[in-house]
Parts: sequence; C-alpha cells; structure tokens
Amino acid sequence: MRHLRTALARITALFTGKRSDDDDLRDELQAHLEMATAENIRRGMQPDAARREALLASGGLTLAAESVRAQRGLPWVESIAADIKYATRALRRSRAFTAVVVITLALGIGANTAIFSVVRGVLLKPLPHRDGNRLVYLRQSTDGPGQSSVAFSVPEVHDIRNGAKSLAGIAEYSPWTLTFQSDNEAVHIEVALVTGNFFDVMGLSPVLGRLTRPSDDGTGVQPVMVLTHEYWMKRFGGDPSIVGKQLKLEGNSVTVIGVVQPAPYFPDRADALLNMVISKHHTSAQMVQGRTHRMTEMIARLAPDATLEQARTEVAAVYARMQAEFKEAYDPGSHFSIAVIPFKEALGERARLTLWLLMGAAAFVMIISTANVVNLTLMRGVRREHELVVRAALGAGVLRLRRLLLVENLVLTLTGAVLGVLIAIGGVRMLISLAARYSPRANEIHLDLVALSFTLALSTTVALLLSFAAYLPKEGTLASIVSAGVRRMSGSLRKQRLQRGLVVAQIAVSVVLLAGAGLLTRTMIQLSEVSTGLKTEEVLSVQVPLLALGGGDFEHIAQADVAAKQGYDRMQHEIRAIPGVIEVGVGSTMPLRNSDVQFDVKADGKSLAAGEAMPHADLRTAGPEYFRAAGIPLLKGRLFAATDRRGSGNVVIINQTLADKFFPGEDPVGKRLGWTGDVLRFTPISGDWRTIVGVVGNTQDGGQDAQPRSVMFMPFAQELALGGSLVIRADSNVAALAPAVTRIVHRIAPTAPIERVMTVAQIKDQSVAPRRLNAALISLFGSLAVIIAAVGIAGVLAFSVSARTNEIGIRMSLGADRGRVQRMILKEGGVLLVTGLVLGVGGAFFATGVIRGLLFGVAPHDPGTFVGVAVMMAVIGIVACWIPALRAARIDPAITMRS
Amino acid sequence: MAEKLEVKQGTLALMILRTLDVLGPLHGYGVARRIEETSKNRLTLNYGTLYPALLKLEQEGSIVADWRPSENNRRAKFYSLTPAGRKQLAHEAREWNQTADLIAAFLAPRTAGEAP
Repeated sequence: MRHLRTALARITALFTGKRSDDDDLRDELQAHLEMATAENIRRGMQPDAARREALLASGGLTLAAESVRAQRGLPWVESIAADIKYATRALRRSRAFTAVVVITLALGIGANTAIFSVVRGVLLKPLPHRDGNRLVYLRQSTDGPGQSSVAFSVPEVHDIRNGAKSLAGIAEYSPWTLTFQSDNEAVHIEVALVTGNFFDVMGLSPVLGRLTRPSDDGTGVQPVMVLTHEYWMKRFGGDPSIVGKQLKLEGNSVTVIGVVQPAPYFPDRADALLNMVISKHHTSAQMVQGRTHRMTEMIARLAPDATLEQARTEVAAVYARMQAEFKEAYDPGSHFSIAVIPFKEALGERARLTLWLLMGAAAFVMIISTANVVNLTLMRGVRREHELVVRAALGAGVLRLRRLLLVENLVLTLTGAVLGVLIAIGGVRMLISLAARYSPRANEIHLDLVALSFTLALSTTVALLLSFAAYLPKEGTLASIVSAGVRRMSGSLRKQRLQRGLVVAQIAVSVVLLAGAGLLTRTMIQLSEVSTGLKTEEVLSVQVPLLALGGGDFEHIAQADVAAKQGYDRMQHEIRAIPGVIEVGVGSTMPLRNSDVQFDVKADGKSLAAGEAMPHADLRTAGPEYFRAAGIPLLKGRLFAATDRRGSGNVVIINQTLADKFFPGEDPVGKRLGWTGDVLRFTPISGDWRTIVGVVGNTQDGGQDAQPRSVMFMPFAQELALGGSLVIRADSNVAALAPAVTRIVHRIAPTAPIERVMTVAQIKDQSVAPRRLNAALISLFGSLAVIIAAVGIAGVLAFSVSARTNEIGIRMSLGADRGRVQRMILKEGGVLLVTGLVLGVGGAFFATGVIRGLLFGVAPHDPGTFVGVAVMMAVIGIVACWIPALRAARIDPAITMRS
Repeated sequence: MAEKLEVKQGTLALMILRTLDVLGPLHGYGVARRIEETSKNRLTLNYGTLYPALLKLEQEGSIVADWRPSENNRRAKFYSLTPAGRKQLAHEAREWNQTADLIAAFLAPRTAGEAP
C-alpha cells in the first residue's frame, strides 16, 4: 500500500509542474542553511565562518537538490526521455547518416520479417489440427518417374491398421474430382472421399454443423458432404444457411452437413470432403478387395505412448510381411517401399529447400546491412569522440554514455524496423503466392505478433551491437585525451581492423549471394530453353470432360460415351470454322500435361530380365488430328486415321521413350504392345495386344524439368472418351481465340465444366514461373548485398582518406604525385576486395552445394557462373574504391598542412 | 570526540518519525538538529540524506508538510505526523525492538556450560 502510494506520487510528479517544486526545495534548503548559520553565530562564530561551517555540513546544496529530485519523480524515465530527445536531435543533425542507416536496416529487416513470416506459416507453426504433431503421413513409393507416391489399396490399409499398434487411428481418404452442377454452370470440384473416422483422427472440429462419422461409412447411407473452410468462404461467401442444403454433384443430391475448420489438405487441395457412398467405385468389391487398386491416402495418429521411431519400425515390419505374403502385388523390380513421415513435414517438404534458401539469403542481407551500419556508426563515433569525451569529463559515467548510445541506436533501428515492417507487409503478400505453389499451408501465412516480436528482437540486437561496437573513453584516461586536444580522427588500430574485417565479410557474403543468384538465373534460362517437344507455341488447349466417370458406374457408360464423342465431333467441326484456325484435335489429356492414368506395359515376344522393374506407360488417347494440332512430330510410321475405330484392329502410337525402352535399335512399327497388371480388372481398359503404327517425339508433360515418361497413345475413337481435351492450332495469336472457343464449347455442352483454357506458352510459363520467382528474389537480395557492400567499401576508404588527410598532405608536399596517392588508396581497397573475393568464392563453393536440388541444367560449382560473379564483384569493388582514391588525389597539400 | 557513524538504511525514517512524534511539527533543520543531538553528535545528517528521506515519507503519506513562519519569523517548511505515520512508527518501533533484542541475545557473552 505504501509502495503503491509512493509509486503513484512519483508518477504524478513526472507530469505535474516541476518548477514550483524546485523553487520550494530551494527555499527549504536555503532556510535550513540560514538556520544553521544563525545557530553557529549564536555559538560565537564570525558570520563568514559560521556560513562556511554550515555549508560544509550541508554536503552541498546542489547535490542535495539532485537527490531530492531523484526521489521525487522517476529519474530513469526522465533521463531516458531526455536521451530520446537528444538522440532524435542528433540524428536529425546528421541526416545523410540517418537516412542511409535507416534505409539499409529497413531493407534488411523487411526482407527478414517477410520471409520469416512465410517460413513460420509454412514450416514452423504448429498444425491447426488437435495435437497435430502426432499425425503422420504414410507414403508408398516405387521406382520411376511419377512413382514417388502411389497411394495404398484398401487391403493394404487394413493390414497396416491391424498390424501397427503404435498407430492409434488411420484416416483414409481418396482424392477425387466431381462435377458440381449449380443453376447456371458446371464446375469441377476437388474432393476427398473420406472414411467416417477421418475428422476424428485428424483432430479437426466443425465451425458449423457436423462432420462425417463412422455411421456415414458403407453403402446404403445418404451421401453427405463437409465443406472446407476455404471453399465455403470462396464459393458460398461464408453463408451459414448452406448447412442442410442439397447440392447436385455428379447427378446425385448431396446434403451439406457442415463446414470444417481451416486446415491444409495433402497431397491435393480439397474443396469438400464426402463419404464414400457418392462413388460406386469406391464401395465396389474391386476397390475394397483389390490389393493393387491403390487409390487411398493414409494419415495416422500416433498412439498416446508411441514414438515416431516405434511406428516406423512397426509399419516396416507389417509391410515386409505383406510383401512376403502377396508377392504378386509387389513387383520386386519396382522396389516398393513405405515411409512414415510427420504430417507437418510432408506438408512442408516441397517448400522447405526454397524457403530456407530465401531465409538464408535474407539473413545474409541482414548481416551485410548490419555490418554496414556498424561501420557507419564506428566512423560517426570517431567524429563524435570529442563530444563523448567532453560529456565524460563533465561527469557522465561510461554506463550513462553507453545508455545514451543505446537509446540513439534504438531510435535508429526501430525507425528502420517500422519501415521494414511496411516493406514486409508488401513482401508477404507477394510471397504468399510463391508459397502457394509449394505448400498447402500458404493461407496460414500472416504477419502476426510472433513475426513482429522477431522483428523487434532483431532490431534490438542490432542496436545493442551498435552501442557496444562504439568506443567510449575509459575513466582515468580522460585527462590524456582532453589534453591531447581530442583530434585523434584515425581511431585505434583495433577499430580499423574491425572496420576492414566487416568490409571483407560484406564482400564475401555478397559473392556467395551473387553465386546463388547466378546459378538460379541460369537454371531458369536453361529451363525455358528446354524444348517442349512441340513444333509450335501457337496452340490452345481446352480441357472439357464430357464423360463423367465420377459415379464409377461402367455399365451405363457406353451410351454416354457415344453422346460425348458426338459432342467432341461437333466442337471440332465448329471450331475449325473460326478464321485463323489451322487444325483442331481431340484427345484425353492436353499436351504438356501428365496423364493421370498409368499402367504396366508388356511387349509381345519380350520378357523382363530378372530384377528389372515392370515398365509403366502413361495412357493417353488421341484423335487423328491431335498430333498435327499439338505440333507433336511423327518420327516413324503413321498417325491415327479415321479408320482406326471401334471394331477395327487395335492400334497404338508410342513415344520415343517407350520405343527406346522396348525396341532399342529396332523399328517398333508393326510390333505389338499391351497393357498389363492386376489393376486392369478395375478399369474398362483391356489387356489385348495392340499393334504399333507410329512413333512420335517426346513432350515435356511433367513440366520443363521433368524426366520424359513413356507414353502409349490409343485412338480416341477406339476407347472411352476419357478426360477430353481439345487442341487448337492457329496461324498466329492463338490466345485471342479463347473466348470464341469457350463460347462454342459452352453452347454445345452447356453443363460441361470447362477446366482449363491455356496456350502452350502459358503451360510452359507455368512450369518455369516458380523458378523465375526464386531467381528473381535471390537476384534481388544479391544486388541489394552488392550495393550495400559497395557503399561499405567506399565508405571505409573515404573515411580512411579523411583520417589520413594530414599524412597525404605531407606525402604530397614531399614529392608524391597524385597518381601515387591514388594508387596507395586503391591498393588499400584492393587488399580488402581480394580478400573478400577469395573468402566469398570459397564460401560459395560450400553454399551452392546446398541448393543442388533447386538447380537444373547447371552444376552447383559451374565455373562460368563463379568466374562471372567474381569479375562482377571485382569491377563493382574497384569502382567503389576509385571514388575515394580520386578524392585523395585531389587533396591540396597546402590547405591540409595549414589546417 | 565520539566516533562518527553512518546512518543505517531504514533507521533514518524511524528517527524522523519518532522526532516528529515527540516534538510535534518541525522543520528540516529542527529534525536534523534533534537527531544529531540525540545521537550525541555521533550522527551527522547532510541535506542530501535528510531531504530525500523526508520526501519519501511524505510520498508514503506518513507525514505532511506545510509552510509556516518559524520561531524567528522566517518562512520554513514544517513536517507533521499523520495518523498513518503514527501507525507506521508504532509498527516499526516494535519490529526494531524485537530485532535489537534478538541481536543482543545472540551477541550476549557466553555463560558457563555452553560448548566452547
């Protein structure tokens, strides 16, 4: 209570009038002194002696007043306020210094805050799922392109569920695409068909309505759907009345039962989650009993007392038993394997390398800018030495001076931080779109309190660093400094060494960043120079599936297939009539896109060598005009003809990769291939022999950096009209045709969802874009670093020149000419530059190995890039040295000697 | 001359309160003189010690101050005890006595029978 009153009184005193208090105090002390003097006189002293004696006993009136004032208010608050006032005044006086420091720091802090926010949102933040760190993702993979995750079959899920006790629950889900028919349009939505325990295992709660539960499993139940939070907001504007409504999906009425909390879905985005009954296929015996029918993804929750290691061991043991028991389902040549990965890691795995690379680059920029600011502060510190010495001589302790510096540096760095946060706000917005390409958690990126605390910690650390880098006069050495006249502009040797070390570090770090930027830029160029395999870019493709397999009901599909093919015929016919169109083709998948369908392939008369992996190929269908329209070159044989119909002989066209695989050095035309494998039983595709009629060139279906895959084309007319893409070639500006084409498609098939309308140039660009952004960001950081480093080296040399003005003046008056002086300064800079370059190239040698995975078509230690980077840094460095060297050469000895 | 003593932390407040309790409202000079005299001049109070202590007691609400004419018609700031101050004095005096008894017992000369 008493303490509270005291505190209150002191805080009040901070704000209330101090002048009258001071007057009062002076009067009171004066009165005391006079009473003491009077007493002394009464004791018989002379008035003068009496006063002196009283004064002596007082212990000093000023000191006493000071102590009382300290007790009255909160002295530290008052003095810090004074420090801040002083700091801003001092900073306002040296505007150029303040501007350079604040901008440098703002760039460094901005970049770091923005990228830290992204790293945190995508990689570090706990998952929104209840106990999300207990969730693990199970992945089955085999060798070969596109086989890194082949999902699981229902029997496999059962075996793992029964065998692995360290997994408390397994959520099964199957990514699927459904057509959603609303009043005036049809769209495809990405869904996951889930088991009833899915949400319970995942630890997700509804924000509205309910989620699926085990009673929604099996057949004979109503189809129900749970909307993801994102889709609910996007499509329905967050309308709460959606719960209970019926939506038309794939011709069925499905009840919306709830909306689930925001959460990331993996491996595919999901708009809604449904129970299995919507797909006849998913509840069919084929799906439920077929061991090779792998369409199910698994996320499991670790049992309460189980560790990740236990789960891994146990799952591996179960898996080994499965492989031993069902040999036919695990072709030994394909190297089936299973992995148990923390769900959080699985979500971040594609983003991890890129993000840490960016974080590292941003940290480097921060190091360089801090080094620069330290250097600037040191130089300014030398110019301020006089001021600090005078302050010390007047009684300011080292601590007090340190605090003054700290306050000043905090004002600097916090101003930089505020600007930096503004930069970060813009940066985060841009980075979210980058992150969205790599991670399903991109919408969890926010510039939140944690990120801001990170910024605050960063700027405070820099301020502390700056304050302790500055030289302060030690007590006891004051006299010598003051009497020396305080003109020691050169500063101590130790400090000079520190400055030079910082410059060397700046150059070295810049070289590392530049090397990274160079390699990534070359990667991007290499990628865009990879041939797509198509002869032209004037190709527009439209993905418009007319035949829906979503229901999985193969019996009624024959009629629908006939109707769909008639639809495509009409579309082809009408689009061909648009002026400028050269050719229109139809096929299952648009060119440069991977086919979703892959099967094992057998060749007539060829057997696999022991241990050889079962060959796969992508299944695609194509009409007679498809290859010409897409610009895929025919290498051997013929294209499909109108006569390759149902009922005529089974024919296929294969791509170069498949031809090389089965018929190296032979002519494949006339040979026979066929699909094979247990999984064919679940599809409308037969394993009959098919005669090869032609070989076409490879195309970059999986993106510019993908390995070419084997492809087997079947005549569009001979098989079900799966997928369904139109390929349109025009003489020029094919993109302009998009609206006309869309109109025709929409008129002929008003309820069909038009999935993608893209030109080949756009598809290609989409595959290069993430790398371009990577390269652009790192290049931006690299250039920033180089600019800051150049300013750094020029600044340190300029400072050295100004410190050595006297010396240079003496040299010149003793006969050194301008050239010699200039060379002297250049040499001083050159030593720093060369040291920095050597260290930087060495550092880059190590650092670029780390980003190997992000490179394409260029080695991590590409000599061309390294030489280029070193030359560039050297040139910039020399220019930066030249400016202070010229200034040194212009020194007039007469003037400097006299001053 | 008697040995000079430093004013011990916390004891000054007690001395001031006691002085005002015994002598009634008094100015700073009077308080200082009284404390010095009571200590037989072993304590000297400079202003830098006395006045912050007075201000602190004032902030705590144990004493109040007002300006009045002094005995020789000079304006002086007189401090007087508040009821809260009187309570604090009683409380602290009791604590101090207990502490003093305790220390005295500890420092008492050894008696026979005690281990060496």
